[in-house]
Parts: sequence; structure tokens; C-alpha cells
Amino acid sequence: MASIDLEKMLAKVKASQWALADIDWDAPGAELVTEEQWPKLKAFMADLMWIEHVGARGFAAMARKAPNDTLKEIYTYFHAEEQRHANAEMALMKRWGMLDGDRVPEPNKNLRLVIQWLDRYSDDMPLEVLGSVIPMLEIALDGALCTFLLDTVDDPVCHQAFARINDDESRHLGVGFHVLEMQGHGDLYMKVLKTLGTILDPRLILGIASYAPLLNRMRDNVIAMGLGEERLYAAMKKFERIGGRTADGRRNPWYQIISRHGRIVVNRRQRFYHGPVDAMVRLTDLIPDRVMPSRVPTWVKGITYKPVV
Amino acid sequence: MSETDESRITTNEAPAATPPKATARKAAPGKRAVKKAAPKKTAAKKAASKKTASKKAPRKAATRKPAAKPASVLIVGAGFAGLGMAIRLKKAGIDDFVILERGDDVGGTWRDNTYPGAACDIPSNLYSFSFAPNPNWSHSYSGGAEILDYIHYLVSAFGLREHIRFQHNVTALDFDARRGLWTAELEGREPLRARAAVMAQGPLSNARFPDIDGVEDYQGKKIHSARWDHDYDFTGKRVAVIGTGASAVQIIPELVEKVRSLKVFQRTPAWVIPRPDFRTPDWNKTLFRALPASQRAVREALYWTHETMAMAVIWNSPLTRLAERLARRHLRRQVTDDWMRRQLTPDFRIGCKRVLVSNDYYPALRKDNTQLITWPIAKFSENGIRTADGVEHELDCVVFATGFDVPKSGTPFPVRGRAGRELGEEWARGAQAYKSINVAGYPNLFFLFGPNSGPGHNSALVYMEAQLDYALRGVHRLLDDNLKLLDVKPTVQARHNKQLQKRLARTNWNSGCKSWYLTEDGFNATMFPGFATQYRAQMATFEDGDYDSEPR
Ligand SMILES: Cc1cc2nc3c(=O)[nH]c(=O)nc-3n(C[C@H](O)[C@H](O)[C@H](O)COP(=O)(O)OP(=O)(O)OC[C@H]3O[C@@H](n4cnc5c(N)ncnc54)[C@H](O)[C@@H]3O)c2cc1C
Ligand SMILES: [Fe+2]
Ligand SMILES: [Fe+2]
Repeated sequence: MASIDLEKMLAKVKASQWALADIDWDAPGAELVTEEQWPKLKAFMADLMWIEHVGARGFAAMARKAPNDTLKEIYTYFHAEEQRHANAEMALMKRWGMLDGDRVPEPNKNLRLVIQWLDRYSDDMPLEVLGSVIPMLEIALDGALCTFLLDTVDDPVCHQAFARINDDESRHLGVGFHVLEMQGHGDLYMKVLKTLGTILDPRLILGIASYAPLLNRMRDNVIAMGLGEERLYAAMKKFERIGGRTADGRRNPWYQIISRHGRIVVNRRQRFYHGPVDAMVRLTDLIPDRVMPSRVPTWVKGITYKPVV
Repeated sequence: MSETDESRITTNEAPAATPPKATARKAAPGKRAVKKAAPKKTAAKKAASKKTASKKAPRKAATRKPAAKPASVLIVGAGFAGLGMAIRLKKAGIDDFVILERGDDVGGTWRDNTYPGAACDIPSNLYSFSFAPNPNWSHSYSGGAEILDYIHYLVSAFGLREHIRFQHNVTALDFDARRGLWTAELEGREPLRARAAVMAQGPLSNARFPDIDGVEDYQGKKIHSARWDHDYDFTGKRVAVIGTGASAVQIIPELVEKVRSLKVFQRTPAWVIPRPDFRTPDWNKTLFRALPASQRAVREALYWTHETMAMAVIWNSPLTRLAERLARRHLRRQVTDDWMRRQLTPDFRIGCKRVLVSNDYYPALRKDNTQLITWPIAKFSENGIRTADGVEHELDCVVFATGFDVPKSGTPFPVRGRAGRELGEEWARGAQAYKSINVAGYPNLFFLFGPNSGPGHNSALVYMEAQLDYALRGVHRLLDDNLKLLDVKPTVQARHNKQLQKRLARTNWNSGCKSWYLTEDGFNATMFPGFATQYRAQMATFEDGDYDSEPR
């Protein structure tokens, strides 16, 4: 059942384009963000914005790997749409007076490591890896975090923006799971070999090393904002539920690995996991700036809060 | 091959007029600007003539009554192909032909494409007729104005002007099998008849606008590369160029010098290789003039250089890798930023689409006032372009470097053959012909740049000359044997196409990338799968047995 018609999806994506200029960023309601919320919201938004941006880069890599032209074009749009989300979130930050002038907020160190990894290696990762990690990122970090925001912030403009963002996300997920299922087809044996091959790839290990702490950091962020972490976990379980609803999807070894990882992330009692990973979060905070990757790739500079340039 | 060589020698008498001295013109930009005004007028008139042609005062050419006696040959189009056909007819002693041209000047491609930076990307010595060499080319790759001068020179040197009917827009061709005559329907004029017809309306003569939402809402200036507006002042303007094909890479380096900001909207990057351009030194021109054989030798050398390129471009060979490496190195040298490089690197095999030749395109993209935008275009708004990243780009002017409508299926106007056949219907799923030039059921009709005649690696004019020779033989057959009709046999045509498609399947064009060479269903009705030498060999023989004929 779950398979979607990619041609129709592409047409729908094209027909559902929106722009920052469609939203009145100066409409009343900004004052609904409370003084108490403000500092935490600022940190949260900065991270969220960067996660969207990082997701965007993931789609750029997937467009390269797409097995057909339609999927390639869809990913090209999704790449742009994630950037649009980042832009819209930056516009919200601007509206709430959270930007330092026109400057894009600094990404946290975990994100900087992820950015670095994406920049160096994502184009070399097989679609199997990206096609599984990205939907996970989408659900856990992107989709779920967006809904949290709506629970805490009353500003109608924020709701307006996220209504559109979530609408886009629903299409991202639809395609994400479709691809998971697509990849479940075929010779399982080959799939496993390929998976093992990439797991042993040191570049991927580096990726995991930056992805895991990012998840934990966002969990901390969520708690700091006064939200139950269960919400984040519920979202991650959604990945397992939807991704695993067909045999093809379940057969995808990457789905297996990632959903299992998701389960571990959710289970706080997994000290073997959370101990070191939490330590990594704290450690990355301790990395002195001068040893952090200094070269910022130019794709990072494309974000803007301006509806018209 | 020998066939073509022979004909070259017989036709290589020096023409009456002297070839154009283009050096001076190139140095005087003022003069160039004046020249440019004419094509613009053409474009405007062309547009106007769509609606009001019948009301317009008839021009000189039109005052001539349509000949009571049908002409021997009618030619549609006065570009390189139509004029080349005319020259060959004239030299063969066939004088009663007419050229029907919808514009009001000759030159076709080079009359219409007068955008800044327009130039050929095949060396001029090869992008000219072998039977009318020009020793005066100022550059190895000449600019559009110089090429247009050369075309004007052809018209006067061979006395073609009296044959050309300007502002004669052909709207249909009908064959009368009883009389063995083609009738050209003309917009707002009496139809015209001839025993043979030559379609030389150009493969790239109808400007294409992309199908983007809201184009009509956009209030700023719109210019198509093939209908340049020389009155528009780009100084200090915010300009967008849509498209990154052959025209765009020539326009962008020129525009960037004038405008305030230039945004280049790219959908797919193309392979770009460096271009060995240099001014022709004076001693070189003197040599060519004194010793025409030396110029023929250079042409020959250029021809074979381009023939080797076929190995890289047409088939997947070690040379393909080599060409890709050359292009990658060119990119690496000229663009330092990793992300920009990534965005400019094609993900298809070189040759699958037209390979671009430029030294100044990449540097132009790196200029401070230029921005390469790879987000998909979502729509036009009143003030500019909205991209899918949610941002609106405010613009004063949008330049469409989006190419041409290439009829890969169907015909540019209705062509009706024997027994009520309509060619557009027959070609709906992809065009087919015999040796690119004749189609069964449509006797006495010759296509220049018909199906599967496209060069991917060599001068279009090399291919064109082979077609002209072939068409001339067909016309000779028709007139000398006093035939009513000469029609290629359907079986012969079918066999030809079967072989053709088999060979095409092995080429880079059919290797799975989308391009304007292919129809929606991936049928290649555009390119010739082989060396120019093979194409010339194919065209060198005219087998009477391939044709059905009927006497008059
Ligand atoms: C910008 C550009 C650069 C190019 N550079 C090169 C190059 O470097 N090397 C190369 O080999 N090729 C190049 N080409 C390809 C080029 O089109 C051919 O080389 C050649 O000029 C084609 O000549 P033509 O006479 O067949 O067509 P055209 O030059 O297009 O002439 C066709 C003529 O027919 C007229 N016409 C069309 N329809 C009708 C009608 N219904 N009724 C009456 N008249 C009509 C048109 O007005 C036009 O004058 C280039 C093309 C373009 C657009
Ligand atoms: Fe998003
Ligand atoms: Fe998303």
C-alpha cells in the first residue's frame, strides 16, 4: 500500500511552493513570547535552524544518488525546502529580536561537527545510508521539534510559519518512507553486505560520532524548555512504526540499525550508550574553539531571514 | 568522401566580390552597435507580422506577382542552409528558385542571436563554407557580427538577393501529386508553387521560453537571448540570467561587466572545456589570401581535430574520461570554492548534452557582483523570481538564455504529402527520414538539418555541405529526367532507421540523461551517431534505386 506515485508527488511539491514573502513577519503577536521563554527559545531556535540547514545538505547529497530523474528532482526541491525552513526560522528569530544584527547565529559545536562531516563525506555515502538517516533526522529533530514549539509559543506568526513547514515535512516523510521501502526490495544478502561494508567505513563512524551526541543534545534542549522528553521519543518511535509498516521497509537493514539506535536513545537506562554519548556532548562543549574545524563551507552561508533579496 | 572533394574543387572558383574584412569592424564597437539595430527590428516586426501582416504595406519583394509558372525550387529560410542551397543551385545553372524568408534580413541564427558575446564555438575556418573561404577571420572563433558579415558577403558575391522574398512566412507546404508541385502557403500572401521544395527553416530558429509559473505577472524587463534588445541599458541594473547553456556562457561574462548584480539561475550544469581562442595574426591573413591552399590545409586539420573529439563525445571511450578530466581540471583551476565547484560539476557523462567551450564563464561566476543560484525556480512574482528556498530575488531584467523549441516530433508548420498524409502526425512519436533529407510519401522535398543530422562535435556547416550536395543531386534528377515525383521507398527508409537507432543506442546521448536531443520517450531524432566523415560518406551516394519516380 504505502508506495506513492513519485511523479504525482513531484507535481504536488511543485504546486505547494511558498515563500517567506507570503508571511507578514511584522504582524502583531511577537510579544507573546514570555521573558522567561526568550533565552531558551533563542538557543532552541538557533539549533533548530541549523538542523534544518544540515538536513538540507543531506538532501543535496541524496539528489546526487537518486536512482531516477523524478526522485532526483524531488530531492532537489527538498534540499531547497529545508533551506526555506531554516530561512523562515531565522526570520522568526529576527522577529523575536534574537539575532545579533543580520548575523546568522553560531551553530553549536555538535552541529559544527555534523556540518563538517556532511561537507566532507555526505556526497560519498550510499543512498542506503542517507535514505535512512535523513527520515530519522526529519522525524526526531525536525518534525518533532517543530510541534514542541507550537505547544510552547503562542505567537500566531510562529504558528503560521510552522503550519507551512509541517506541511512540507509531511511530504518529506512520505518520500522518505517510500524510499526506505524501495530499498528493502532486492537481494537481502547483498544489502547486508553493503551495509556491513559501509559500517566499517571510518567516514561513517565519524558521522555516527557526531550524530549521536546531537540527538542527546537536542534532548537536553527540549528538557531545558520545560517539555517532556517523552515527546521527542514518541516522535522517534514514529519512525519505527511508519518505516516498519511494510515488509519491504522492515527488510531495509539501515532501517533496522537506525530504529534500534532510536530505541536505545529513548531508553535512558541504557547507560552504556548514554554515559559515553552524554560525555561526548559535554566534551564537545569543552573543545576549545581554535581546534574546531575552522573552514566554514560556503553552503552554510546561504541562509537569510530576508524575504526579498 | 571523394565525391564531396570533387565537388569542392569544381565549385571552388573565386566568387566575384571580395570576402569581408572583419578586423576593422571588430575594432569599432560603434559600428557594431549600429549593425545590431537591424535584427532587433526583425524580431519586433516578426512579432507584429503575426497579427497585422495582411494590413502592412507590401514591400518591394512582395510587389512581384507570384510567378505564373511554378519555380523549379522553393527554399524556406535564408540562413546558412537556405543560402548555401541557393549558391549550389546557381552554380549548377538552376536559376529559377525562390527563397522564402519570414524575417527581413538574411542570416537566420546570426541575424537573431546578437546578444553580447555571441560567437561560434567551432573555429571560423571550419564554420564557413569550403566553397567560399574567408581569409580575413579576425579570431580563431569569430564573433556573431563577423559571421553575419560573411553571410551578407555570400549573398552579394553569389547574387542571391534577387531570389529572396523577405517577410514571406511559410505557414504550410502542400504537395499536389497530380501535377507534381509543392505549394507554400504564406501568411497574408498568395501561395507560391515549385517542383521541388527545400526546408531550410533552421533547427534552432524558434526561441523557447521556459514553462515557469507567473511569467506573465512579472513586470520587469524580459529579453530572450535570440531576440536581444540593444536599446536596453544594463548599466547599474539587477539582472537575472535563466539557463546555463551555450548562449548563457557567452552572455554572462559580457553582462557581468555592466550590471550592478547578476544572478545566474542554473538547473543543470554542463561540461565546459577551455577554448583555445586567439586573434589571427596579420601574416596569417596575408598567407591565406596569397596561398588559399594553406587555408584549406588548416581547415582540413581543424576538421580532423574535431573528428577525434567524436570519440570522446559520441561514444563512451577512454577519450570520454580524458575529456571529462580536461573539463574537471578547467573547473578546478578556475573555481576555488568547493561548494561552487560541486554545483558546477555535471553528474552525467560528457557528450550526453552539448559540451560548452569557454574560458571566461567560470571566472565571471566568481565576480563579486555575480551569484550562482541552483535552487529551483518556484515562480515569477511581479518584481522578480521566487526560488524554492523561499526567497524572492528582486530584479530589473530577466534574460532568458533558454534556447529553442526544437521540433523532435512534429514539424514547425503543417507539411502535407501524397494522399492526404500529414507529416506532423507521422512524426508525433519522433521524426524519421531517409539519410536525414527525404521522407517517404513526401516526394521532391528536401530537409536540411532533418532528423538525425545533428553534429555533436563538428561544424554544422560540414554536415550542411554534404546535405546541399545530396539535395542538388535530387533536384538534378527531378529536372534533368523531367520527373513529376521522386519519392524515397518506404522500405529503404525503414531499413535506414533501424540501423540508425541501433547505432544510436550505443551513444552517450542515449545513455540515460535528459537533453533536448531526445523526445519525452527518449527517442533520439536529432543526432547522427557517427563521425562527420561517416555522415559525408552516407550523403555522398545518391542511389536511384532507393527512390520511386514518376515521369511528368
Ligand atoms: C547562438 C548559436 C550559436 C551557434 N553556434 C554554432 C557553432 O559554433 N557551430 C555550429 O556548427 N553551429 C552553431 N550553431 C547552430 C546553427 O544554428 C547552425 O550552425 C546554422 O546557423 C543553421 O543554419 P540554418 O540556415 O539551417 O538555420 P537558421 O540560421 O536558423 O536559418 C533559418 C531561417 O529560416 C527562417 N524561417 C524559419 N521558419 C520560417 C518560415 N516558416 N517561413 C519562412 N522562413 C522561415 C528563419 O527566419 C531563418 O532566417 C549555433 C546556433 C546558435 C543559436
Ligand atoms: Fe524541515
Ligand atoms: Fe524535512
